[in-house]
Amino acid sequence: MATSSSGGDKFTRNLVIGMVTLVVVVGAAFSYFGSKGSETAAIPSSVSKADGYGIVFNADVPNVPTIDIYEDFQCPVCARFEAINGITLEKAIEEKKAKVIYHVLSFLGTESILAANASACAADEDKFLAFHKAFYSNQPAENTGAIDATFLKSIGAAIGITSPEFATCVDNGGYSDWVRNVAEAGAKANVNSTPTVFVNGKEIDRETEYFNAEAFAKAIAG
Amino acid sequence: MILNSIDKFASGKYGSWFGLLSRLTLGGVLFAAGWLKIFVPAKSQMAVRAYEVLPIWLANILGIALPWAEVGLGVLLVLGIALRFSAIAGGAMMVLFIAAISQAWARGLSIDCGCFGGGGTVDPGETKYLSEILRDFGLALLAIYLVRYPVTRFAWEKLTKTQGVQENGN
Repeated sequence: MATSSSGGDKFTRNLVIGMVTLVVVVGAAFSYFGSKGSETAAIPSSVSKADGYGIVFNADVPNVPTIDIYEDFQCPVCARFEAINGITLEKAIEEKKAKVIYHVLSFLGTESILAANASACAADEDKFLAFHKAFYSNQPAENTGAIDATFLKSIGAAIGITSPEFATCVDNGGYSDWVRNVAEAGAKANVNSTPTVFVNGKEIDRETEYFNAEAFAKAIAG
Repeated sequence: MILNSIDKFASGKYGSWFGLLSRLTLGGVLFAAGWLKIFVPAKSQMAVRAYEVLPIWLANILGIALPWAEVGLGVLLVLGIALRFSAIAGGAMMVLFIAAISQAWARGLSIDCGCFGGGGTVDPGETKYLSEILRDFGLALLAIYLVRYPVTRFAWEKLTKTQGVQENGN
């Protein structure tokens, strides 16, 4: 059936429609440009732009498989993954059996950004792996406010980081632009879940190889 | 016929109240769904990519735009402004969601619809395709009701039925 609007509040109607449209368009644009990375972002020394801004181990070891690991510090399944496979990966790095690239994503919220930033601060102290391990074994529940500068500095202290630079870096979020770059690169790499593991650019099998230490070790042998 | 009795119901005593309920339900769900995703754009982008329909760059744009559009439509529906337009847009969204979820199901992907945040790849045992489709189907029906009977209670924009003009003879 046909309807017509009564004339009296036409102006208010159009005003509301205009405001809603404006908020939607401006909001979406703001969010879009806010998710864009920055070419001038400060990046930790062990980071390679060519490797999706990931933190790289064994960058120059020839003839070994490349393992890309995408995680979010707040993701509970990532903590489980670390508990099962952390040692295998550390060993592969130590024995130079693989080039390993950690991509610290931050899609779960602002506390993920804080944690990712702190991990980069730790990377500058050559303590990324230790930070990574200590964080996951003390991982707080998601977005409860538990991950703040104090918490992150206590993780640092627990693994023996004492430098004032680390504390400043955590407090100031010095690498938060870089965290956005990592997120943008992960989005472009079509990573749709965490953890995600690529061996030589190909994802390993989610059903059998992620949470079985033996199968995982075999999968990353290349 | 069933359409006849729906017509009778809609123009009866409770029709406009049901319209209000439809507006609040469809608008409320859209608003909540958008609001939960608006501040985690990277997660929302991930949810759209996981459907594996759109090219990655387009999925990444849609992942950011969609939550804002949902919130905007939700506000219009709840307030009852530009109701026909927002009901058509809301209904069209539901139809697209149903199509997207169905193709994921048919292709054997294991994803969460990401409707209210979340989303992305999940374990094969954790998919909820049927309930997601049924929910969106129900919301699509409400949208169709609103498109056809846009005179509802407590709408900001007061619509009146135009006397003597009946586009449909039933």
